[in-house]
Amino acid sequence: MGGAYKSLNGSEKADSASANGARKQKSRVLIVPSRGVTYRHRHFINDVSSMLPHGRKDVKFDSKSKLYQLCELAEMSNCNNLLYFEARKGQDLYMWLSRVPNGPTVKMHCQNLHTMEELHFVGNCLKGSRPVLSFDAAFDKEPHLKVIKQLFLQTFGVPEGARKSKPFIDHVMAFTIADGKIWLRVYQINETEKAKAGEDGETEKTYSKNRTKETDINLVEIGPRAVFTIIMMQEGSFGGPIIYENKEFISPNQVRSDLRRQQAGKHNARSEQFVERLAKKGDLGLRTHGGKKMPKDALDSRELFA
Amino acid sequence: MVTKSRLKMALAHEKGVDFKKLHQKKVAKQASKKKQKKSGGAAEDSEGEEWEDDEEEVKGGAPIDDDEDDDDSEDDDEEERDVAAYLDDSASSDSEVEMEEKIARVRQPKQSALKQKPSKKAAAAVEEDDEDDDEEDPEEDIALEDLEDLPDEDKEDLVPHQRLTINNTTALEAALKRISIATDKSVPFKSHMSLSSLEPTADNIPDVMDDLKRELAFYGQALEHVKQARSLLKAENVPFSRPNDYFAEMVKDDGQMEKVKARLVEEASAKKASAEARKLRDLKKFGKQVQVNKLQERQKAKKETLDKIKTLKRKRAENSGDLGTHEADLFDVGVEEELGKHDSKKRGASRDGDRPNNKRMKKDQKYGFGGKKRHSKSGDAISSGDLSGFSQKGMKQGTKGKPPKTARLGKSRRNAGKR
Repeated sequence: MGGAYKSLNGSEKADSASANGARKQKSRVLIVPSRGVTYRHRHFINDVSSMLPHGRKDVKFDSKSKLYQLCELAEMSNCNNLLYFEARKGQDLYMWLSRVPNGPTVKMHCQNLHTMEELHFVGNCLKGSRPVLSFDAAFDKEPHLKVIKQLFLQTFGVPEGARKSKPFIDHVMAFTIADGKIWLRVYQINETEKAKAGEDGETEKTYSKNRTKETDINLVEIGPRAVFTIIMMQEGSFGGPIIYENKEFISPNQVRSDLRRQQAGKHNARSEQFVERLAKKGDLGLRTHGGKKMPKDALDSRELFA
Repeated sequence: MVTKSRLKMALAHEKGVDFKKLHQKKVAKQASKKKQKKSGGAAEDSEGEEWEDDEEEVKGGAPIDDDEDDDDSEDDDEEERDVAAYLDDSASSDSEVEMEEKIARVRQPKQSALKQKPSKKAAAAVEEDDEDDDEEDPEEDIALEDLEDLPDEDKEDLVPHQRLTINNTTALEAALKRISIATDKSVPFKSHMSLSSLEPTADNIPDVMDDLKRELAFYGQALEHVKQARSLLKAENVPFSRPNDYFAEMVKDDGQMEKVKARLVEEASAKKASAEARKLRDLKKFGKQVQVNKLQERQKAKKETLDKIKTLKRKRAENSGDLGTHEADLFDVGVEEELGKHDSKKRGASRDGDRPNNKRMKKDQKYGFGGKKRHSKSGDAISSGDLSGFSQKGMKQGTKGKPPKTARLGKSRRNAGKR
């Protein structure tokens, strides 16, 4: 509502900003979980939102079909990016990434979620410091991945000069594509004094370097961890034609039902065998009831001594 | 007509925007544009007319032609921008975020029409695959991909019923163009802070299931980028490392970090304890031998001292006549002094009395002395969270498969034993 108030008493600030040649990227992200998220999902969403100072967390969204309402929600809270976590069946989590008024939208399936708390990693970083975004080269190979890269860049990258952001850079977010999935890792940037070399000539050098604060960098993982599988992309924001669909994606429901069917298969095979055996026995005349009766043999003892 | 959110409508009303007037204006503009186009060029003219037709079709709910869709929306855009821009300006003028201008498509009918598009597009792609080079041919794709890795006997009665691949490259590129922010060298690095590697990281991962190698590849990618980013940011004079005296809220709070630390300590101590236990076990194994060795050594030492004393005595007996009593006295006195010292030490210890006797100490250790006795054995959060006694191996082995160590003999053998 604050946004509405502001806009009613609007000034011409936006025009002046757009008049500048290189204007600052200003963006805000609305983070919305759906109804029915599990505790793990909730913790994961909290972890993600703690990393996004330009994000705004909204209450759980209670609709599975009218997703276009989310756009209005984002517009009302003055956000141009939308991160919607949709839980289904109390176990599967889908992540929707969207640019708000015009799209595009990406739907991804989140697997292997591990929250910060459960991972017990030693790394830590400032709340709201800007991350370095590290992308795999594969993101530049295909058009749909290019679009996804831009969406990640604008959602997970903290814009310069965001209100709650901190001035130092102490963590890195890595997006990697392996096995057709996107893997998310977050590391803390840890700067240590350069280890002194053993040789005499070298020690002198490193010492002088230490004076100028030349430090080694190593990374310590912070968490959370997640793996995303792209499902499809839409042209609009929660609407419009589907412009990309991942054929390799198999729905978790399908996986589960296959597993169940496989297990059921054992029993079915066995019961089939049982019926077959009965039929076979009947054919050979070995069953007391039913089946074919064998013709009496002339050399049968019952015939001979009748 | 102009489908805007309710809020925007309200805002427009507040500002006194007359939609009818705007619409009229727009119509007039369109007309003028049309005229211009007619006078301008024949090619453009036809396109414009197509555009008009399209919109009518859309309103009627009829399917629209795919290829012209992108152009249409852009044209649309220009026409309705005056309305949209006005509204958007008013909505977000003072706000932090500059919302991009909404592409004011005629939303509802278009969507319904566009919903049919994917299937139609697929069909179109099958029919005229030579027309669109970028677009993959879905039918062929399936046939190739799936038939290759199937055994021959399955190939015969196969009905490819896989879903079609949709990869609308043109639409994707349009979307990319619309949303992308520059990340190349023309803009300062601090504005986007993103880097992408030259080689795909997947090349370094031989097996995705191999956790160690996979994580190492991810780590390598991130580390390389961090190094690049640091030099880039330092070149742009952006503060990079946090000074030691800068304190602020962290992502993980102190409580969480405390837990992490406690876990680390616990892990280290568990490792140490297990190492010690192993050592003890090994010692026990060789303990017997060690004990025997020690006894033998002691025996040997005793023998040696006795021998020495014997030789001394013999020497004394030999030399008693020559040296007189002097050395003998010395020798005796020395022994006595030694004995006396030892005795006094023993007596002193028992007399001190600051330590209770051994029995008392043992009992205190066993039954406790002082402190709360109740609830010492009841479980708490730490004990229930302690999984040190749990082992996956034990769980996998199962309990039922373990036979008793001393199996009961058979009946006949038992009876044989009685006799």
